[in-house]
Amino acid sequence: MYEGVHAYPDGDATVARLARTAADYGYDGLVVRNHGDAQAEYDAAAIADAYGVDVVSGIEIRVDDASRASGLVGNYRSKVDVVCVHGGALNRFAVEQPAVDVLAHPMRDGDVNHVLARAAADNGVHLEFNFGRVLRTVGGQRVTALRGLRKLRELVDHYDVPYVVTADPSSHLELRAPRELRAVGETIGFDPPDIEAGLRAWGELAARNRGRRAETFIEPGVRIDEHEEDE
Amino acid sequence: MKHLPKHLRPRWRYLAVGLESWPDVELDRRAFQREVWFAAQNLVGDAGSADLDGSVLHFRFADGLGEAIVRARRGEVERLRAVLATVSEVDGHPLGLVVRGVSGTVRACEEKYIRRPKVELDERSVAFASAERPAVVRDHRVDVRLSDGRVGATALDIDTREN
Repeated sequence: MYEGVHAYPDGDATVARLARTAADYGYDGLVVRNHGDAQAEYDAAAIADAYGVDVVSGIEIRVDDASRASGLVGNYRSKVDVVCVHGGALNRFAVEQPAVDVLAHPMRDGDVNHVLARAAADNGVHLEFNFGRVLRTVGGQRVTALRGLRKLRELVDHYDVPYVVTADPSSHLELRAPRELRAVGETIGFDPPDIEAGLRAWGELAARNRGRRAETFIEPGVRIDEHEEDE
Repeated sequence: MKHLPKHLRPRWRYLAVGLESWPDVELDRRAFQREVWFAAQNLVGDAGSADLDGSVLHFRFADGLGEAIVRARRGEVERLRAVLATVSEVDGHPLGLVVRGVSGTVRACEEKYIRRPKVELDERSVAFASAERPAVVRDHRVDVRLSDGRVGATALDIDTREN
């Protein structure tokens, strides 16, 4: 299972520290999806060596208008493995872009309706169930977050939209283990296996996109293979 | 008071919890217990809290690392696990928390999941983000103090050349 994290300087812990803690908590990997203006520097191979956690490159695109976002998506698509879009004003844009992998926290400052959910399903854009405010706020803010998660869950169920689940940690202290997220999910009305599927989805996205970025890849279903010599 | 007959006594499960915060944070059992009860009340309400129990039985916390044993009624372990996951800070300090395991007795819980490795704590300055900065080093963990806050790092992030 994988988790999508914000690392220093976007968060309060370096990629290595998040990876060390994630390994301790039973994760297989991390997707580092810092916002575009706060990119992290790290050596993925050294971290994987030291802590046994797969570190996946990513980005969370956060801009005001769709035209700039469109340019950035095109730009980063070939540079990183997982392209996320900061949800809110860009919800509509993100679900209509097959090049986008994940629409992060779509319900925090925005909304998703049946039209967007269907578009996300058609384009294979994963909607994110963000548990950040369920875990770290109380009262009105948490109620709003829960209401959003419930609406999103019903839409995702109905239109069979791909999704990811995250605790949205920006430090090693905010990270929570998969079993804990599963328990929280169950308490707020999710089916526990769905939570695990949402955590695995990060890893599946990473594996798929790494395959696509490999030099042997031409288009889905077409790749350059080793040529077999005839005897 | 008479003890209840054995078949009517509540069956307990004990959750071993690992805790982490910044190295200078001080935390005691009462503060942690209060946060657990508040978290339970906020997540599952009064009725749910009563079902869970959630008593903190064993607590140790020093230099930003610690562990605790929290009691749950049998059958409520997953709900208590959810409640514990929402304990995100104590006295305003961020708290990292993980359930290491669940046992049927306190003793089994301590023996199996509560390890107390002697962690050497070292305060020195390290090279981080192209400057010398004060830090607390505990095994592989390096907590660096920046001018505007703190950042958790590991030995991989700092320049290891001797200062």
